[in-house]
Amino acid sequence: MFTHTPLRLTTLALLAAGSLSYAYAAGFFGLEILAEIATLAILVIALDLVAGFGGMVSLCHGALLGVGAYVFTVAANDAGLTALPAMVLAVVLSSALAFAIGAVCARSTGIYFIMATLAFGQMAYSYVFQSPLFGGDDGLSGAPRPDLTAIGIDLTDSRAFAVYAILLVAFAYLVAARTLRSGLGRSLVGLHHNEKRLRALGLTVWRAKASAFAISGALAALAGCLAAQHTQYVSPGLLSWTVSGEALVVVILGGLGTLTGPIVGAILFVVLKHEISAITPYWHAIVGIILITVVMSRAKGVFGFIESRWDDRGAKTVAKEAEADA
Amino acid sequence: MLETRDLSKSFGPIQVTKGVSLKLQQGERRVILGPNGAGKTTLFNQLVGELRPDSGTIHLDGADVTSLGVADRARRGLSRSYQKNTLFDGLTIRENLGLATAVALGKGQGLWSDPLHAPEVRETVKEVAAQVDLAPYLEARVDAVSYGIRRQLEVGIALAARPKVILMDEPTSGVGPEMSKGFHRLLKALPRDLTILIIEHDMDLAFDVADTITVLNYGEVVFDGLPDAAKGSQLLKDIYLGAWEDA
Repeated sequence: MFTHTPLRLTTLALLAAGSLSYAYAAGFFGLEILAEIATLAILVIALDLVAGFGGMVSLCHGALLGVGAYVFTVAANDAGLTALPAMVLAVVLSSALAFAIGAVCARSTGIYFIMATLAFGQMAYSYVFQSPLFGGDDGLSGAPRPDLTAIGIDLTDSRAFAVYAILLVAFAYLVAARTLRSGLGRSLVGLHHNEKRLRALGLTVWRAKASAFAISGALAALAGCLAAQHTQYVSPGLLSWTVSGEALVVVILGGLGTLTGPIVGAILFVVLKHEISAITPYWHAIVGIILITVVMSRAKGVFGFIESRWDDRGAKTVAKEAEADA
Repeated sequence: MLETRDLSKSFGPIQVTKGVSLKLQQGERRVILGPNGAGKTTLFNQLVGELRPDSGTIHLDGADVTSLGVADRARRGLSRSYQKNTLFDGLTIRENLGLATAVALGKGQGLWSDPLHAPEVRETVKEVAAQVDLAPYLEARVDAVSYGIRRQLEVGIALAARPKVILMDEPTSGVGPEMSKGFHRLLKALPRDLTILIIEHDMDLAFDVADTITVLNYGEVVFDGLPDAAKGSQLLKDIYLGAWEDA
């Protein structure tokens, strides 16, 4: 079950302090990387919620991010909404779409679930790619950033935008953590471990899965809004399955089912990408080797490795003490 | 409390349940006996909704539940334990019992509070842990405890749902004599208003806890009566000694 262990809280505090400090010290390029990390971090938090804790490995989270980005841009550019209501609309619509996808896919598990979500994602990608309403393969430009000048914050400034992006990551994390500590979140973890038993106890499994997917979809849409605001441009590439695949790589790299680990993974991935791509255009190969090493070592990712060692030691000690007492 | 009327089920040409009619009163403890392949677990699977019967009806607390799914029947007070452990591995015993209680109380989809910390859930976990002798192990993870403890948890999860009717599929399967005696005590200590249907091969346990005995063979009820009558039954001896077909 999800808990805020001292290890997780310490890591989160260090990440928050480190990223905020970096946001105040970094130059333009560093701030751009920070915003990129924040977007990816929100997406992987969303994915870890359902994949890491619920066992629902999704390949449509890129599409949910893209739907969020497009709805936000169209609502702001064509429907005349200001940025914040446009964000709310994007999150609500993506969440509704995710609920529908989750409800349909709830009856499948494993590879079939992955394939079903991939199909949904590619349907969304193809539609946006072909649709003149969404600019076809040219995409849409002019996605606005929220106007917070009334409270003295100018988000056209890279530094302010980076801090805003960090705050959105914190918000996404809190939503995911709150969900995991709710009845739905507890059931989600239970479904991952034993769906049959939870059904036999009276849980309506499809609804629980769809609800969790809806919350995850809402967070993915938030990442989409941030991506659109960051680059002020959206393209069909945002909905591509490769975005979902990349997010899955980051979740595994950081630590599936830890919520904190994927944030660490997002930082590692983006930094590695920029650092290694400066040396060689074959940076994907290097990241691939790192990922294979992580998977083959069964280390549950960088953060998961540390955490599982910590947890296993504690659990075994408790069991031995209980057996000795009985 | 629980009734089946002329329940039948076939898998292809093999009829595994043949016109089974049972009627359990509230608080009754009935043990189902029968050799391997008699259709006992298939009957259980139909009772809880995991299998749909070809014909016949199932009534729970007076209502026809034949067309209802597993979760709906569970919400009406039907709970089961499995022959093979069906637990939430990787979670602690407290979390297993807490999750079962939370879902059974309808708190499995809420968003605003943590059901594992709800007073009624904590209280139920404490009571059930005491009932199934798991209090010392609450913080241990399921995959770190012995098989016997897991069998106790298997029954504990079913009890945590606070059912009206509980179906137990070979609760003592695979446990040693000492632990089997523990199950005798556990079953006898359960509230008298709880209706219990048990599949069991352990004759001592069966005759110790049963108010009534039903014997299944080749999918049909061949004996339905009091334990004393079953004890002296030549039919039962023949079935278990494999002489049924000659009897």
